[in-house]
Amino acid sequence: MIRSVAACVVAVMCACVFTRVTLHAQAQPSGGSQWQFNDEDEQTPSWTDSVRSQAVDLAVFAGFTVLALVSFFRKDKRLKYVTLAACVLLLGFWKSQLITIVNVFGLISLDLPIFRYSLAWYLLAVFTVASTVLWGRLYCGRMCAFGALTQLMDATLPASWRREPPAWLEQRAMYVKYGVLAFAILYFLVTRDRLIYRYIEPFWMFGFHGSAVMWTLLAALLVATIFVRNLYCRFLCPVGAALGAISSVTTVFSIKRWKECNSCKICEKACEWGAIQGPKIVKSECVRCDDCERLYADTKKCPHWIILLKDLKKARPTVAAPLNN
Amino acid sequence: MAVVVLTAQPTIDSKTQVNLKRLFPSATAFTPKGGDPPHFKAMNGPSLLGLAFWTTELQPLERAYDGPIKILVGMDTKGVLTGVIVVEHHEPYGNFSVDTPGFAAQFRGKSIRDAFKVGVDVDAVSRATISITSASRAIRNSARLAARQLLPPPPSQ
Repeated sequence: MIRSVAACVVAVMCACVFTRVTLHAQAQPSGGSQWQFNDEDEQTPSWTDSVRSQAVDLAVFAGFTVLALVSFFRKDKRLKYVTLAACVLLLGFWKSQLITIVNVFGLISLDLPIFRYSLAWYLLAVFTVASTVLWGRLYCGRMCAFGALTQLMDATLPASWRREPPAWLEQRAMYVKYGVLAFAILYFLVTRDRLIYRYIEPFWMFGFHGSAVMWTLLAALLVATIFVRNLYCRFLCPVGAALGAISSVTTVFSIKRWKECNSCKICEKACEWGAIQGPKIVKSECVRCDDCERLYADTKKCPHWIILLKDLKKARPTVAAPLNN
Repeated sequence: MAVVVLTAQPTIDSKTQVNLKRLFPSATAFTPKGGDPPHFKAMNGPSLLGLAFWTTELQPLERAYDGPIKILVGMDTKGVLTGVIVVEHHEPYGNFSVDTPGFAAQFRGKSIRDAFKVGVDVDAVSRATISITSASRAIRNSARLAARQLLPPPPSQ
C-alpha cells in the first residue's frame, strides 16, 4: 500500500517535471521580427550543452554518492569519517547543496527546479528518496552537510563534555521534529511563504548568508550540540522527520539483529542517535551510521559471538580456538 | 472600457509605485498595469519613457531553485534596461545571490540585444548557478518579449 503510494508520488513528480520541460521549450517566442535579436540566445540549449555546463556539479555529486555508498557497504569507520569530511567541504561549503524543507514545499506545490538546468540537484534528490526507501535515513547519516558537521564535532570534542538526555526525555523529544515539519507545512500552505526555512533550518550557514538573529540562533544551536550530540538531526530537523516517516514504513533492507539483542544493551548504549530501544531499532531515528552493525560483527564484544564461541569451545576446543582470534 | 480598467486595476500599490520610481526616476506618472503582455508605462508628461513588467508574468515557467523568480524589469523605448529589482525572492542554500544588490545592478544600462549568458556578460556567482542563469534568462526573454510586442523596432543598423 505504502509502496504503491510512493510509486504514485514519483510518477506524479516525473510527469510534472516532464510537463515543465516541454512547456518551457514551447514557451519561447518564435521568429525574430524587426528587432533582429539573436534567436540562438533564447533557444533552449541542447542536452549536450546542458550536461556539459553542469559536468562539474554532476561529477561532484556522482563521485560523492559513490563514496557514501562504498563507506556504507564497507562498514568502515575511517571511510565514514572521510565521507563526512568530504560532505561538509563539497556538498556544504563548496556547493551548498542540501535537501531542505524548501524542497518539501516545492514537492507540495509542484514547484520543483527545472530538470534540464538542475541535473545535480535531481541526482541528489532522487538518490535521497531512493536510499531512504531502500535503507532508511542514509542521507541524514552521511550526505547532509550539517549532519556531517555535527557528527564530526562529536568525533573531535572530548566525550566527557557530552550529556546524554534521559531516556524518557529523548523518547519524547524525538517527536518534536514531526511537530516542526507539520508546522512548517501548515505555515507554507497558509502563507505560501518559504522564508520560514531560515528559522527552522541552519543549512543557510554554508552560504555564509544570514541575519544577526539567524547567526545568534545558529550559535546557540551549535553550543547546545557540543553537549547533546546531533541535537538538531535527532530532535528538530523537519527533513529528517519527513525521511524518517518514509523509512519507518518502507525500509527494504533493514539491519539484521541477533536473538541476543533482546536482552543485550551494548548497542542501545552505543547508538549515538537514540535509535535502539530494547530489542527493536526505531527506523525513523536510525541514520544507518553502522555503529551497531560493526558491533554485531565484532566477535570480541557482541554476546552473540561470545556465547557461540564459548559453546563451541566447550564442545570442540580445538576447532574453536582459531576462530576466537 | 475605462471604467472596466479602473475597477480591475484601480491603482498601483505603493510598494510597486516606489519600485517603478526607482526604475524611472524622471517619470511623472505610471499607467496601471495592462495590455498584452502585461506592463506598466512610465510617462514623462505625454511622452513614453519606457515599460516595466514582471518576469513572472512574461516568463511564468522560468524558475530558480525554489520557485518563480519575481523580478520587476524597467526598459526604455530603445530596448535598454533601466534596471531590475528583485522583489520576491528567497533562495535557500547556495542560491542566495540573486538577492544581492550586485546581481541586480549589473543589468542597468544593458541592451536586450546582449546574450545574457552567465560567465560571458553576466557575472557568475559560485553556489548560485541555477538561480543566476534562470534569473538572467527570465530578464532577457521577458524584456525581448515585451519589446517585440510593444515597442517599435529601431531603424535597422
